[in-house]
Amino acid sequence: MTLNRRDFLKVTVGASGGLVLSLSLPGCAGIQTGYDEKSGDWKPDAWLELTTDDKVYFTLARVEMGQGTYTGLTTLIAEELEVAPASIQPRFAPVAAEYRNPLYKLQLTGGSTSIATSWQPLRVAGASARIMLINAASSVWDVPPEECRAADGRVVHPDGSQSLSYGKLVELAAKQKVPGEPALKPRNEWKYIGKNRGRLDAEAKSTGAPIYGIDVELEGMVYAVVSRPPRYGARVRSFDDSATRKMPGVLDVFEIERGVAVVADKYWRARKAQDALTIEWDNSDALSLSNDQVFSSYHKAADEDPGESERSEGAYGDAVESAERLVDASYEQPYLAHATLEPMNATAWYRNNGIEVWAPTQAPDLGRIAAARVTDLSPDDVTIHTTFLGGGFGRRLTNDYIEEASAVAFKVGKPVKLIWSREEDTRHDLYRPAMLHRMQASVSGGQLTGWHHQIVGPQILDWYVRNAAPAQYPWAPKFLYNTLGRVGLMAEGIATPKDHSAIEGAIEYPYRVPNLDIRHTHTDPGVPVSWWRSVGFSHNGFAVETFMDELAYELGQDPYQFRRSLIDHEPRHLEVLDRAVRLSQWEDAAPEGRARGIALFRSFGTYVAQVVEASVEAGEIRVHKVVCAVDCGQVVNPDIVRDQIEGGVIFGLTAALYGDITFRDGQVQQSNFHDYPLMRHDQRPEVVVEIVESDEAPTGVGEPGVPPVIPALGNALFALTGKRQRRLPLKAQV
Amino acid sequence: MAVRLTVNGRERTLEVENDTPLLWVVRDELGLKGTKFGCGMGLCGACTVHLNGQPVRSCSTPVEMAEGAEVVTIEGLAADGALHPLQRAWVEHGVPQCGYCQSGQIMSAAHLLQNNRSPSREDIVAAVSGNLCRCGTYSRIVAAVESVVESRADHSSQEEA
Repeated sequence: MTLNRRDFLKVTVGASGGLVLSLSLPGCAGIQTGYDEKSGDWKPDAWLELTTDDKVYFTLARVEMGQGTYTGLTTLIAEELEVAPASIQPRFAPVAAEYRNPLYKLQLTGGSTSIATSWQPLRVAGASARIMLINAASSVWDVPPEECRAADGRVVHPDGSQSLSYGKLVELAAKQKVPGEPALKPRNEWKYIGKNRGRLDAEAKSTGAPIYGIDVELEGMVYAVVSRPPRYGARVRSFDDSATRKMPGVLDVFEIERGVAVVADKYWRARKAQDALTIEWDNSDALSLSNDQVFSSYHKAADEDPGESERSEGAYGDAVESAERLVDASYEQPYLAHATLEPMNATAWYRNNGIEVWAPTQAPDLGRIAAARVTDLSPDDVTIHTTFLGGGFGRRLTNDYIEEASAVAFKVGKPVKLIWSREEDTRHDLYRPAMLHRMQASVSGGQLTGWHHQIVGPQILDWYVRNAAPAQYPWAPKFLYNTLGRVGLMAEGIATPKDHSAIEGAIEYPYRVPNLDIRHTHTDPGVPVSWWRSVGFSHNGFAVETFMDELAYELGQDPYQFRRSLIDHEPRHLEVLDRAVRLSQWEDAAPEGRARGIALFRSFGTYVAQVVEASVEAGEIRVHKVVCAVDCGQVVNPDIVRDQIEGGVIFGLTAALYGDITFRDGQVQQSNFHDYPLMRHDQRPEVVVEIVESDEAPTGVGEPGVPPVIPALGNALFALTGKRQRRLPLKAQV
Repeated sequence: MAVRLTVNGRERTLEVENDTPLLWVVRDELGLKGTKFGCGMGLCGACTVHLNGQPVRSCSTPVEMAEGAEVVTIEGLAADGALHPLQRAWVEHGVPQCGYCQSGQIMSAAHLLQNNRSPSREDIVAAVSGNLCRCGTYSRIVAAVESVVESRADHSSQEEA
């Protein structure tokens, strides 16, 4: 990688008043970024600021929602800079083109990409700064730089007798030549990567520090709640606020695009006043479907339209013609809510022709668009302050709550905090889409000869592009936003990336089968959908790995041996599969009354094999143990890898056992944790995670633990009961 | 109405409607943001505080029920600037992911340890099973609580010796 000094180095005065050395990096050629570096529209991914008073600030371009970027990315910088990770002060990035995610050309955190895209550039940034500091010290002492070394925030003289702190060297370092291709530390010299334990944010999160969006407190702040239509797409026809306005503390009641806002001096007063509001909804454009219609429409679409071919190998039609027999199955999966424990919220303040927003968001530049859309302001007038997130899981990629808070703040002219109730959070989510999968396999001579997978359901980009397209073209005037949204869709694959949300995990089918036909029938019932932890992999993993299990039994083979025989050309798949089998003692009988199921799945570049041990006790499914073997390339923080995989297992099991958002007459039937339950402590299985040692580039871990555990549990229940469940969530009795 | 209560050892008199949930009084009147809003129905445990030594869900506890009572929140757990042993264990075990539920988890565990010198794993799981964690940090929570129980056992065996 060649660095252009002008792009790379900036010497400025920092917030501290001291002289600062800011380093920023262009995209790294070593990473498949999927964008054209020559165009130069993406510059650095990280900023490092060293001050004369020995502080190191690191601007995090990715948000922290529990997945560990705050610790992981800081560790990468610390390793090469030769400072302890805990001595670095991370801060969340403002909105700027410099902080866009190179994979999406948007400033967003998702897709388990943070470590993979930062691995090289952050280490290069740290190493460059270290070399410049060493060169500065060597010029002070008039000794060769290669005889000096850096350690713990200081450069040490060759004779070991004296040292200079980084702060003392900053001014001189800034005048050094920027190293072209700094040599990175070899693996055996790493002090923190692969070794660092714990999290830099653990103490703040164990002492109740006010770090989340919902904790933002501003002088003179008031509170807002919004009544939204029970049926998606309905609009306010009329409302009666006479009783509401008489309630204590109420400051204003007015209509916004998404409903009716009640503003009061206190949150609880706003909530109580909201109860007194009467709203008549115009349902002419509203969703009216019920759950069974979703799946009947999917089946109809699947019958009428074979769908677009997304991967085709060999000649599946011929395989069918010559097959001894065909095996068919179809799988149905429900809508799922994100259920972050911190409900949606945002605080906004309109003053001096600009709006400031404090919010837990995964996509701050889309937050700017959301705020601009509902006010008279342009995105440049909107400042977003990103806070810690009390869970993300994809929900906070959509900034509808920023839109609402901004619309209210624009009218009120005071700082306003908007908080959603849990019921609102559950009912006004953008859901993991319900999906239908039709599978068929051809079998001849005891061998699998063909694999056909028809995926039926919506694409997420259809729902997302409204704000995403303008965010990519922030110079565009607002009246073009809707056009940009449509152009974004039309130009899919050119102006926007191809939407893989429906097909990911299906088209990468890894097993050695000569004839493949994988298709997507695009149909959208009109329910708002979004990314949900592991996205398309979450439903395709269930379809692929359940059908593989069905086929193993059809062919009279052990489910592990069957998979193994078809994947011996893929060493990384094979390794995690074999390890999970060894760790789970697959070959030995399960304890009395229990059975085991297996699944193998790669998502976000990470290979995961899982074995689930389950039973049915007192009419309930009981998951006893989940063994995971994981290959995510090189590991920055093994502790965080383990907790992400384990967290993914709990998240996946919650979906497998309980996850079911249903509609009746266009209304979501669930509301809170009693009817949309999450797995609790006393239902938790023992989870064992083994990480494969690797020299490969690191890949994501936030999501890959989720997909395989769902089919692995279903497969265990089949082994236990002999009954195959083809619809989620799984049931104890079928 | 005026409500009088003691929060983290400090006596407070507040003008609030008597049905206001203790959660919003603690968060917005007293500025103690460590107690979290998760569900509003006592289902998730993120708002757990101690009321006269008992763990309660402050989101569904009207403030009038705290009249004259002693309330302890996560901010009141550390004594003399030193972290509570559970908080230290939480940091050592790297328990929090998003962290949003952890105040409630710690308050539930702290109540258990105040009333049971050497709880079993079953006791621990029972004490925190009303606290949901969407990130799935459950095993580390149990391990962190167990480490505090073990260090207590070591401490008392040293005393005996």
